[in-house]
Amino acid sequence: MNILVCIKQVPDDSVEVGIGADGKPAIDSITKVVNAFDTYALEMAARYKEALGDDSEITVLCVGPDEAKNSLKNCLAVGGNTAYLASDAAFSGSDPSGVAVIIKDAIAKLEEDKGAFDLIFTGKEATDAALGQTGIYLAEQLNTGVITNVIAIDVKDGKAVAKQETDEGYRMVESDTPVVLTVSKPDYDPRYPTIKNKMAARKKPIEGFDASILADPSLVGDAGAKVVAIKTYEPPKKEAGVKVQEESDEDSALKAIGMMVEAKVLG
Amino acid sequence: MNKAETKNILVYIEVADAAPVKVSLESLAQAKRMADEKGEKVIAAVIGQNIGDAAKEAAAAGADKVIAVDDAAFADFNLDVTADVMMQIIEKEKPEAVFVGGTQDGKDLAPKLGAKCATGCASDVVGMKLDEQGNIDFTCPLYSGTVLEDVVIAEARPQIATLRSGAFKKLEEAGQGEVVAESFTVADDAVKAKITETVKELTESVNLEDAEIIVSGGRGMGSADNFKLVQELADLLGGVVGATRPAIEDGWVPRNHQVGQSGKIVAPKLYIACGISGATQHLSGITGSDYIVAINKDEDAPIFSVANIGIVGNALKVLPVMIEEVKKIQAQ
Repeated sequence: MNILVCIKQVPDDSVEVGIGADGKPAIDSITKVVNAFDTYALEMAARYKEALGDDSEITVLCVGPDEAKNSLKNCLAVGGNTAYLASDAAFSGSDPSGVAVIIKDAIAKLEEDKGAFDLIFTGKEATDAALGQTGIYLAEQLNTGVITNVIAIDVKDGKAVAKQETDEGYRMVESDTPVVLTVSKPDYDPRYPTIKNKMAARKKPIEGFDASILADPSLVGDAGAKVVAIKTYEPPKKEAGVKVQEESDEDSALKAIGMMVEAKVLG
Repeated sequence: MNKAETKNILVYIEVADAAPVKVSLESLAQAKRMADEKGEKVIAAVIGQNIGDAAKEAAAAGADKVIAVDDAAFADFNLDVTADVMMQIIEKEKPEAVFVGGTQDGKDLAPKLGAKCATGCASDVVGMKLDEQGNIDFTCPLYSGTVLEDVVIAEARPQIATLRSGAFKKLEEAGQGEVVAESFTVADDAVKAKITETVKELTESVNLEDAEIIVSGGRGMGSADNFKLVQELADLLGGVVGATRPAIEDGWVPRNHQVGQSGKIVAPKLYIACGISGATQHLSGITGSDYIVAINKDEDAPIFSVANIGIVGNALKVLPVMIEEVKKIQAQ
């Protein structure tokens, strides 16, 4: 199997993001990590490769700034075989359709050496903007099927068979390969890198792509973006109310119930 | 699509159990508000089998015209099939905007249409207004809603958006639009991914979005056994049980109870958070609540920053007293 995993580097989502002095989201000081759903995608790909036990290869691709190399190194320590960074000032400001174009053109370049990919994994959404669009745009541009919210994958008789999580259960979905799979949280966690794998990953090269790979540069970056950001701001803060802390928890409960009755929110 | 040729707003109506889902009706209502402002019309598309009643409901909820596509071939949602039918409708109607309710399938359908139309898609929209050029200015949450971003789709058409459940109010008795039956065929090669089996694992349906009262529990509840206190209070109040992701991952309650960024966004009249510290991913799902009561041992817990009443204490001790008091009040 020839497997591609597309990842995005995002600010650690356990840190609350506010607006900085420049009016933009203040994310510079927040540690950058691989988007959680992309780590699930990589883990799913790695487990699938291990189950096959053959010479399948996992290529990891990231569209992002130069500093995203760190995220790619981390991916090389937890299952990725080779890693590529598509980075260029011209990519900046791309919306999901633009990012999908960059990935599509990078795939064309990668396939010159590696042959056609069978499975293209990515997270169902990124934890920063939570759009959940890039995988779907990519599939349309590649003219392949797309299966979203995947929690398990197999390939049988040349067809990808995926378990798609739904609100109430799941659907089994089948598609010819190549196929784009957007991964939700399966019932397992991504592995931690061993020290040995970490050391080996550090030595591996990260190769790069720039805007010269683009078939049509007008589709990416600020100029190619169909969705244009006007402004960012913080939502009005909900005002904190009253804290209740009496002598005992029982007293606190009684006082709170009294306040709720007064506020007419009970019954 | 040529911007000058487009007008009107098309709304995709998702149907479950023969009725439009709530966020589809909310989308329809918001489409009507925007269309009224521009002097345009709202067209709804209902696709499925035995959708006659759902189409009528859409016609009374804000649509000027409902395109009813009633066909056994479209009985179950399939992304490729629905997108293909919607594209045929879009090519015929040339809408200026397409609104889709932000359900799981809706969030797949909207970017699929975006890609097919070579246009953009605003996600999880929580507010909108017209700008001076007549474009729709969409407000979308970033970083679990701690930042809001206003975006426009300035040139490409149609302007596609998924609307967040609960962000817009639906209209009661909005009017009486016409229902027009239309039929479409989808070529076999347009269907790349096929659903071979649909399994409902969670038989109990949990309607967090429509709930007026939600009692939620988090990791602070400590165990599945303790979590029963949350259930007891919810039952007593006629409310619905919610939970944070840790409580679900620990198996205390099924995952269809999850409230927050990766669960359901809720807007009840009363939200009681028990043993929930208040990670941003959870808070972003509850800030639409009218009144929040939080119980947590840690007085610095972020949940208190959004709570109307913050009880600093052990939920396991506070809840039994609250349950008894509510029983007393109800007995009166």
